[in-house]
Amino acid sequence: MSTYARQEAANVTLPSSLDEAVAALADMPSAVPVAGGTDLMASVNSGLLRPAALVGLGRISEIRGWQYADGAALLGAGLTHARMGRPDFAALIPALAAAARSAGPPQIRNAGTLGGNIASAAPTGDALPVLAALEASVILAGPDGDRELPVSHLLTGMDPLRPGELLAFVRIPLLHAPQTFLKATGRTGPGRAVASVALVVDPARRQVRCSVGAVAPVPLRPLEAEQWVAGLIDWDGERTLAPEACTAFGEYVAAACIPDQPGVELPPAAVQLRRTVAALSRRALGRALA
Amino acid sequence: MSSIIEGPGPVAETLAGEGGEPHGIGEPVPSTDALPKAQGTYPYAADLWAEGLLWAAVLRSPYPHARIVRIDTSDAVAMPGVRAVVTHEDVPGDAMHGRKVADRPVFAHDVVRHHGEPIAAVAADHPDTARLAAAAILVEYEVREPVTDPEKAFAAEPLHPDGNLIRHIPLQFGDPEAVGEVVVEGLYRVGRQDPAPIGAEAGLAVPRPDGGVELYVASTDPHADRDIAAACFGLEADRVKVVVTGVPGAMGDREDSGIQLPLGLLALRTGCPVKFVATREESFLGHAHRHPTLLRYRHHADADGRLVKVEAQVLLDAGAYADASSDALAAAVAFAAGPYVVPHVFVEGWVVRTNNPPSGHVRGEGAVQVCAAYEGQMDKLAAKLGLDPAEIRMRNVLATGDLLPTGQTVTCPAPVGELLKAVRDADLPPLPDGDDESQWLLPGGVSGAGEPGAVRRGVGYALGMVHLLGAEGADEVSTATVRIHDGRATVICAAVETGQGFTTLARQIVQEVLGVDDVRVLPSDTDQPPAGPAARGRHTWVSGGAVERAAKMVRTQLLQPLAAKFGMSVELLTIADGKITSYDGVLSTTVAETLDGKELWATAQCRPHPTDRLDDTGQGDAFVGLTFCAVRAVVDVDIELGAVRVVELAVAQDVGRVLNPRQLAARIEAGVTQGLGLALMEDLRAPRGIVKRPNLTGYPLPTALDAPDVRIVKLVEERDVVAPFGAKAVSAVPVVTSPAAIAAAVRAATGRPVNRLPIRPQAAVVKPPTP
Repeated sequence: MSTYARQEAANVTLPSSLDEAVAALADMPSAVPVAGGTDLMASVNSGLLRPAALVGLGRISEIRGWQYADGAALLGAGLTHARMGRPDFAALIPALAAAARSAGPPQIRNAGTLGGNIASAAPTGDALPVLAALEASVILAGPDGDRELPVSHLLTGMDPLRPGELLAFVRIPLLHAPQTFLKATGRTGPGRAVASVALVVDPARRQVRCSVGAVAPVPLRPLEAEQWVAGLIDWDGERTLAPEACTAFGEYVAAACIPDQPGVELPPAAVQLRRTVAALSRRALGRALA
Repeated sequence: MSSIIEGPGPVAETLAGEGGEPHGIGEPVPSTDALPKAQGTYPYAADLWAEGLLWAAVLRSPYPHARIVRIDTSDAVAMPGVRAVVTHEDVPGDAMHGRKVADRPVFAHDVVRHHGEPIAAVAADHPDTARLAAAAILVEYEVREPVTDPEKAFAAEPLHPDGNLIRHIPLQFGDPEAVGEVVVEGLYRVGRQDPAPIGAEAGLAVPRPDGGVELYVASTDPHADRDIAAACFGLEADRVKVVVTGVPGAMGDREDSGIQLPLGLLALRTGCPVKFVATREESFLGHAHRHPTLLRYRHHADADGRLVKVEAQVLLDAGAYADASSDALAAAVAFAAGPYVVPHVFVEGWVVRTNNPPSGHVRGEGAVQVCAAYEGQMDKLAAKLGLDPAEIRMRNVLATGDLLPTGQTVTCPAPVGELLKAVRDADLPPLPDGDDESQWLLPGGVSGAGEPGAVRRGVGYALGMVHLLGAEGADEVSTATVRIHDGRATVICAAVETGQGFTTLARQIVQEVLGVDDVRVLPSDTDQPPAGPAARGRHTWVSGGAVERAAKMVRTQLLQPLAAKFGMSVELLTIADGKITSYDGVLSTTVAETLDGKELWATAQCRPHPTDRLDDTGQGDAFVGLTFCAVRAVVDVDIELGAVRVVELAVAQDVGRVLNPRQLAARIEAGVTQGLGLALMEDLRAPRGIVKRPNLTGYPLPTALDAPDVRIVKLVEERDVVAPFGAKAVSAVPVVTSPAAIAAAVRAATGRPVNRLPIRPQAAVVKPPTP
């Protein structure tokens, strides 16, 4: 007798619309939704996760593209990194395109999705600081209808996904404003971020918004540094800053993200990380204002 | 990655001249397994299957050092689907084994000495059942303080009945009182590189009706593995057969005995075939790594930059077991001063036992670590004397006839100066140009954070050397059989094709000698005569030599009757394209006609001249052959982020003779890329003896974007008269030399000492002046 029971194909559902997917999740509360599977299937293959059932999202065409809605872009959660990296998308949301292009090797970018990046919420998720800096929101489809909440509320666990809910869309305000994403990996080939910085200069609201990824479990927003540097910019004029101001901004951001411990000297690794964040923030601001 | 081979030279000519299918020595004969490997149809050990097979799982220690109080397997045995559980109590033969010294238990019984040491193994009818059962084995540990600092191993409690000092070589050469006008000192560290074969360990054990067992594994040294297995199973060697399957990458001794031995024991116990496929984590924990090394150096030179004396202390971390560590130490001590003429050399070398992950044979062991250190010292001397780094090296290069610090005279070609000159005089790669900065590949990669203003370019040189074949009296014999029948030749040789290209070389040799194009090389197993390990360029030398001799014997058998019939000597007949012709053209016949349906067989051996063990002062003729390499690295460093991109590695290498230009270029590219991994990213971290992140995310390997342009600027073809074909094996010496060259280039770009490999970003950052 064998203890080996072949996994039945019936355990995988392949809905072709969001409604069907939500219904499938409601039918099988233990089912796990899977899009690109770049994180999930690695856990399954290594035996860390044995989902009772899978709901494959790959056939839901409505979440694999994007559309415009009231001055914002409504991005399907099933958009792949490869798709976001293309020039037409880059013209729309340059920072997100840059983040998508820097995420892993081509095989991963072809499979991995924006929604997966948010749902797995890895500290090194490349899209996450961009979404935080752009103040994106997510639209969740659930058995009781849709609801929308800021992406940061989802990431911090302030307002987590409820049972049966599915990440459907990401709403990103379209800004006619410079935005940058920079990532340090310590190597030339694709790698996980040591630190990443997304920065947006928003003249409409006279704001600079900056978000630092990979240094903490969720992207960090150095709000004081943002306000300080926004106050230095001549919004009605050239919108340039002296190099010293950019440098000081970098130091400010780095100190906010990797704070001093009172009475303790920072370990060398933290000093290096702070230096990296400072250089990235300074470069990001410089490029956004250039 | 691209490669540029510069002409004029035999390489450029043969690559350019594509007239018909290449065959014979010196031609770019393609490998027969290249296509199936590229298409994914080539079978590896993990693809094996047998009817009714069971799956094995190995229970490994979660602690680096602990006493085992109790092992209770009853829960595992009682699980449905579990067919056998084996521990140290179930080893019928020798409980201890090892490649050089039998100091490693098959299963830990009283103590565990490293994280991941096998304790028990399970066979079950499903891999998950086997894994769950292994997890259900209850082991009560008494955790002990691990010894993880090799410097503390000397004074620590013995971790093993054999003691903590595995070998000590105090090399003394010349006058200890000699001093130079200029003295530089340095402390260097080299991390733990993992061979990280692209396919993890896997195998299948099949019990035989005669009570023996067959092991289907990707072994690189099948006969040694068989002998270890037979001793452990308590069987005669001829009742254990190791069959070599497709080898998915090998940088040293490929297979982990912690997998082969449990597999065989489980197959013998259950009477069923048993299969095991290691996870990537197990692969990192189980197999041998490169020795982490600590090196202290003091170089003395005169005012002209000529070396006077080198003093060094070299400390290798062997991990818990001896394995091939004494070989690594011998190489480290003998090559501690590098391919330079130094009249006085004093090196203290130690290799010690710790509770760190096990170290063993990884390509270029010993030589890699010292190369990083002595080249760091050469850069320091150059800086102190205000000399160009290439110039100071040029003033000290070794040549044929010079003495190594071991007292051995270099009798083989040693064109070190010529190699250095070739890389020094090669054109430098152009700086990125074009207005579109986004198209530049800066450190940090595509769409990375690189900023041209923060990037500094550096150029660095390194000279490396490595010995060929096993050293210190190892019997480096190989045996091969060649058969010819019906116009087709067959080679039977237990030399394992690991991807290094031995089967292609064997085909070329037989094509050359027998003039037949259709040559098959049979898969290796231990029913064939031994050919030894696939390491240190052995198969190019001894197995290639044995194939050549066997083919020549077949040739003589084939031509002798013909020559006798026509009253001429065999030497006056030539074979080409399946035709036999005499020197005067009078005789012309075909191989097939001459054979007349007969089969001809010949078996021959190749055994190089014997060597000595290094004596109490590190003296002795320990090496059969040496090979040299010069590398010039050009790097771009982002001095704020510490990101390094290697732009180009220019390589000049001493190859004796080019046997296959295509394979040669591939081996050099592979070698320098492995060296780049050691230089920039590969270090298996094991704080307090616990391996951290044993996976390919935590242990990054160079990708196509990390790999630089590899430019082979010169292949020096000065034949080594004692080697078959005069050829030198090429794989190891680029691995040895490239990390040191990259470190030298980063040093030049940043002005930082760069005395640690891999180079961490913080070591390549130029700190802003403190206000």
